[in-house]
Amino acid sequence: MVLYSLTFYLFSSVAVLSALMVISAKNPVHSVLFLILSFVNASGLFVLLGAEFLAMILVVVYVGAVAVLFLFVVMMLDINFVKLREGFLQYLPFGALLGIVLVIELGILFLTDRSSNIYNNQTPLQPIVNEVENTKMIGQILYTEYFYLFQICGIILLVAMIGSITLTLRDKGGVKRQNIDSQNTVDASTAIEKKKVKIGEGI
Amino acid sequence: MIALEHYLFLGAIIFTLGVLGIFLNKKNLIIILMSIELILLSVNINFIAFSAYINDISGQIFAMLTLTVAAAEAAIGLAILVVFFRNLGSIEVNKINQLKG
Amino acid sequence: MLNNIYNIFFIPEIFLACSSFVCLLFGLFLKKNAFRQTSNLAVFVLLLTILLVYYDSESNFANYKSLFSHSSFINFFKILALLGSIASIIISKDYFLGIKLKNFEIPVLFLFSTLGMMLMIASNNLMSMYLAIELQSLSLYVAAAIKRDSISSAESGVKYFILGALSSGILLYGFSLIYGFTGSMNFNEISFYLSKYDNLNLGLIFGLVFVMVGLAFKVSAVPFHMWTPDVYEGAPNSITGFFAIVPKIAAVALIYRFCLVPFENFYLEWSQIILFLSIASMFLGAIAAIAQSNIKRLLAYSSIGHIGYILIALVAANDDGIKAASIYMFSYMIMNVAIFAILLSLKVKNEYLINISDLKGLSKSNPIVSLSISIIMLSMAGIPPFIGFFGKFYVFIAAIEQELYVLSVLGVLASVISAFYYLRIIKIMYFDEGKSEGIINFQISFQSKIILFLSLFLIICFIFYPSLLINISASLTI
Repeated sequence: MVLYSLTFYLFSSVAVLSALMVISAKNPVHSVLFLILSFVNASGLFVLLGAEFLAMILVVVYVGAVAVLFLFVVMMLDINFVKLREGFLQYLPFGALLGIVLVIELGILFLTDRSSNIYNNQTPLQPIVNEVENTKMIGQILYTEYFYLFQICGIILLVAMIGSITLTLRDKGGVKRQNIDSQNTVDASTAIEKKKVKIGEGI
Repeated sequence: MIALEHYLFLGAIIFTLGVLGIFLNKKNLIIILMSIELILLSVNINFIAFSAYINDISGQIFAMLTLTVAAAEAAIGLAILVVFFRNLGSIEVNKINQLKG
Repeated sequence: MLNNIYNIFFIPEIFLACSSFVCLLFGLFLKKNAFRQTSNLAVFVLLLTILLVYYDSESNFANYKSLFSHSSFINFFKILALLGSIASIIISKDYFLGIKLKNFEIPVLFLFSTLGMMLMIASNNLMSMYLAIELQSLSLYVAAAIKRDSISSAESGVKYFILGALSSGILLYGFSLIYGFTGSMNFNEISFYLSKYDNLNLGLIFGLVFVMVGLAFKVSAVPFHMWTPDVYEGAPNSITGFFAIVPKIAAVALIYRFCLVPFENFYLEWSQIILFLSIASMFLGAIAAIAQSNIKRLLAYSSIGHIGYILIALVAANDDGIKAASIYMFSYMIMNVAIFAILLSLKVKNEYLINISDLKGLSKSNPIVSLSISIIMLSMAGIPPFIGFFGKFYVFIAAIEQELYVLSVLGVLASVISAFYYLRIIKIMYFDEGKSEGIINFQISFQSKIILFLSLFLIICFIFYPSLLINISASLTI
């Protein structure tokens, strides 16, 4: 149990610190890397909470796809990183004040609000122990009860695809494309040209 | 033993960092997009902690759907960012000043 | 059994989703005139969807019902959203062709966002509500930035995206708190759980406040309105038209359902927030619009003001409030369709009209157009014979019935202030000196002319037969 607590504190402190670094790192590439670190730690926390499938998905989708997309864009755009850091400090005191107030408020909310009934049964937080494992459980409910939501998610991804293609794809002239029709209809008469080359001269 | 409050507190801290990242950052749009990802991560931590605590799987489903939407949002956000960069040659937040009134 | 499988395609949302895919493929494979043809197909699809909603073909789907609800209020708002979307696609077609923005993706994006709106209106579960909001807004983020060689369009896209994504994040955080403290995502179950308690615990109050902030962003109520004028100004006019006409309908229906279904027993908690949003929106909408010189910004502030009045009806929270909101939304849609149908056809020196001062002397060159604009403006200001008056009238009746006297007095006051800038436009058209002969020309396609004529007809003639709409809206149940 001590191990459990230690793991929690390790993962959560690294997650918070790297989240802090995401918004304050000097170089956007570092920010992306810290974002990845933060997500990996969060997925460790998910394992502690018994949500293995989501932990896996978080690593695969976020680290594998979204963070790499961020890295790709950061490197594709030619940005002057030094210039981008000016003026961060001027808003820092005010922002830090706001942040501390917000965290304290939310903290008070979670730490003092024991009157509500969900805190009355003080069962310790443990992984859900069931006969069915986590992935199977998610699958069973996702494809039955929440099937429509699953479909809507698909439509959202389709919209994202249409949107990003429409916004960024540019037709450039002079691009050579494969024309399968014409390739298939090639025969000897169109593909080969006979030329008579005189002796001693080139073509 | 770790109580639910600890997870919620963690979620609250990351949420706050995400919101601060949006408001403090006056220079770089990419950081803003990453802050949005942080906000969604904090929400996911909340959902999964609650889901484990009240022993109800639908919180995990919601977290999964949120992940999907977050990926879509990142894609569109970056596409808009690229359009913005092509027009202005910069991704500074300060450059967003054509429209005022 | 087989019968059942086919029936599923007659659920309006599923039909709309499938036909949007068809539209996408249709546009993709067309070589010529892809934009025009896809728009026509989109309008046709939306018309069929209205029929399906009207004939109520979604009654017997149990699985479907736990995620989405089904009532007369929902159907009314769905039809309203579909009508608005049809009208805005038709009136914007020529404009898009005029500025050479011929991506066939635009009507497809409109279709997907309309689908998102229908799901938003019907959602009965926190998950479906979130996904629907995202589907709607992701399509609109793209639409705002669609004119990709224009700086202002890109900028409006960036602004809309950042503030929209932030608001969704805040909304989602609120959802997580509500889920955690009630243990359920279904609106009815949340309501049932909450009915056991006299007051909300702190966690739920926080959750409610976060969700309200997120929803206020979506309806653009003050103080979360900052994005509206900028996005309206930066986006191409026709996209602005869509923004002004349709998403507001869905967002208003959603905020009504969210307050009145899961939190019906906690009127005191949410009504304070809505009260503040309502008063602030009415006054800011009225005062900030006075200083505007750009007509799109003026319409943005005007829409913020209108949202304020609709929220009054929500504070009233009785059957009259629902009735007033549906009448108001109907009139809002009609007036915006009419004004955008005109704006999208008015050209000043071969540029589409933007500045209010360009309207100088319009009454001499185009008397009919300027008369129509005056009628729309008077109706927006809420002057009696026109449709806008009835919206405001029923809102105030609902408020007075709930003994919200101060709120209704403030509402009347704000509406007097806002009358000033509506009348200013009329003054500019009729009394300001300026040459408009040959500079301003008005070209309108046949289809848009029909839309414009219909909406003007409704604005003017609503007074002769108001009972039709009023009876329908009085019978709506949430």
